[in-house]
Amino acid sequence: MAEFTAEAPQGPLHEPGLALHVEDLTVSYHGRPVLWDIDLNVPPGVMAAVVGPNGAGKSTLIKSVLELVPATAGHVYLFGKPYAGVRKRIAYVPQRSSVDWDFPTTALDVVMMGRYGHLGWLRRPGAEERRRAVAALEEVGIADLAGRQISQLSGGQQQRVFLARALVQEADLYFLDEPMAGVDATTERAIVRLLKGLRDRGKTLIVVHHDLQTVREYFDWIVILNVRVIAQGSVAAAYTAENLRRAYGGQISLLRGLDRPGDAPVTGEASGA
Amino acid sequence: MSLFALLADYTLQNVAIGAAILGAVSGVLGSFAVLRQQSLVGDALSHAALPGVCLGFLVAGTRDLGWIMAGALGSGGLAALAILGLTRFSRLKTDAAIGAALSIFFAVGVVLLTVIQRRGGASQAGLETFLFGQAAAILRQDLWIMGAIAAAALGAVALFWKEFKLVTFDPVFARTLGLPVAVLEVALTVMVALAVVVGLQMVGVVLMAAMVIAPAVAARQWTRRLGPMVWLAAAIGIGSGIAGALVSALGPGLATGPLIVLSASAAVAVSILFAPGRGIVWEAVERARERRALRGRQVLATLLRLAREHDDPSYPAEQGMLDLYHGLGTRAALERLEGRGQVARTAHMPGEGRHWRLTPAGREEAERVLAEFGGERG
Repeated sequence: MAEFTAEAPQGPLHEPGLALHVEDLTVSYHGRPVLWDIDLNVPPGVMAAVVGPNGAGKSTLIKSVLELVPATAGHVYLFGKPYAGVRKRIAYVPQRSSVDWDFPTTALDVVMMGRYGHLGWLRRPGAEERRRAVAALEEVGIADLAGRQISQLSGGQQQRVFLARALVQEADLYFLDEPMAGVDATTERAIVRLLKGLRDRGKTLIVVHHDLQTVREYFDWIVILNVRVIAQGSVAAAYTAENLRRAYGGQISLLRGLDRPGDAPVTGEASGA
Repeated sequence: MSLFALLADYTLQNVAIGAAILGAVSGVLGSFAVLRQQSLVGDALSHAALPGVCLGFLVAGTRDLGWIMAGALGSGGLAALAILGLTRFSRLKTDAAIGAALSIFFAVGVVLLTVIQRRGGASQAGLETFLFGQAAAILRQDLWIMGAIAAAALGAVALFWKEFKLVTFDPVFARTLGLPVAVLEVALTVMVALAVVVGLQMVGVVLMAAMVIAPAVAARQWTRRLGPMVWLAAAIGIGSGIAGALVSALGPGLATGPLIVLSASAAVAVSILFAPGRGIVWEAVERARERRALRGRQVLATLLRLAREHDDPSYPAEQGMLDLYHGLGTRAALERLEGRGQVARTAHMPGEGRHWRLTPAGREEAERVLAEFGGERG
């Protein structure tokens, strides 16, 4: 059987040189704009951070690109095509809190779900899917927990399971929603190493990130968001104190390091609104 | 009546087979409903079957089970769509939508029921048995209808197992894979209405919700994977069905439907109390064991600290002092440690209370404990 949805008819490619191209995207919720007139370009092969204060629409941006929340206006192209035409090249790591971890299933089972899109209707996951899932669990460093019921995993281990599920999708573009939120330092280092490894293999990563201190260390591309796009581009060019001030306003206190040349790290973390 | 005579009884055979079919289908579909945190949808759909039962009767003009089931499925399905629509397109929360659908549909059903009764006529007799069920009225031909519905529902679950599992666990991720999540969710909900239809005659619309919820809740306690849970829920459903049928045959006037529900509830009670890993009693036993182990480690650590402070590896500590230090009786803990050879009684001044000292094995364990848990009290 074929995949869950038929491939969309091939229209002319639109900006095929970009991993993600967004035009005039507006999303509103109960009449209030959450995202306003977003224009966005992310080239392939970068690891991009999406940062911004609480309520800036970071998660909503990813969800509207993946058509999980309806857009009021605008267009989204992934590798030059609408989402329906490139589904299999896209992987999504939702926030950990988006599922009930008391669900009766094992870590390996959850990872195998990443293959369901390739399997399509009716075909059951078999030995091949199991092999890929085990390999992905090894890659995220928890192969020994494959048979563990998911409620018995720590937060960091649950996050690794979600990452492994995205890995078996064998995508070219990964959207990750706060993968480093609430995980321990060891897990964060492991996740970053893994994501950088993906980027070095030519994959594109778009990561909602909340810790401004680590942006320079982890990422090479940045989108600064607060309902509108405040700035976008390489971290070297766009990650400036001025841009952060425009996005965070009074919410950020310790940006002094950024003013000086020589790339001193930003030392403050965005405080909650 | 002897057991053999019971089993040979034609009516009882029908009832038992019907109850088993009902148990299997409601156990399986209830598992998905419970895991999707939609247990109450089962309640709403079963109450919402009543207006359909009445309409089916009005259309057929007799107590024809085919028409009645079709009506029940229709009104149940309508209620399901109403709940989904209300939560999706209005600002009503799920619980409010379920409550609204349940009371409106059931009220319409009761009104129709009284209208039919007022019109009189011999054939209307017994329509109210669909409220609480009347298992003895089941005929062999009814079983074929129930069996066909059950087979269709269970077949659909088997066929779309992977899709239903994913939609139940992570519907958002399922959507990114291109699955028609809304269609699958409607299908799962409508199949709960199918289970209700199967149970109409046996258990009735009021108690049917329990059959959807109870076997699944009981099964959830015993397993950590979806497949075994669904099989177990089916088994518990079948078991409760047959148990209810047999018990009701033991005495005159014992209603089968409520007995089936009570059997399933008993399975829930046992599972919630005793299931390993999740049961209340099991957890209490675990906690008590951990508390005892912790008490022992604390006492060992105290003895070691005292020994270090007095520079005497076998410093004799008085039991009363240990009690004061820990604010609790330490005797039981000390005697357990003694049993493991980690502390020993020691003679001290005559006339004083009992004294204890660390043995070499106990000192080793105490040092490990202190290293592991740090000196937060020291």
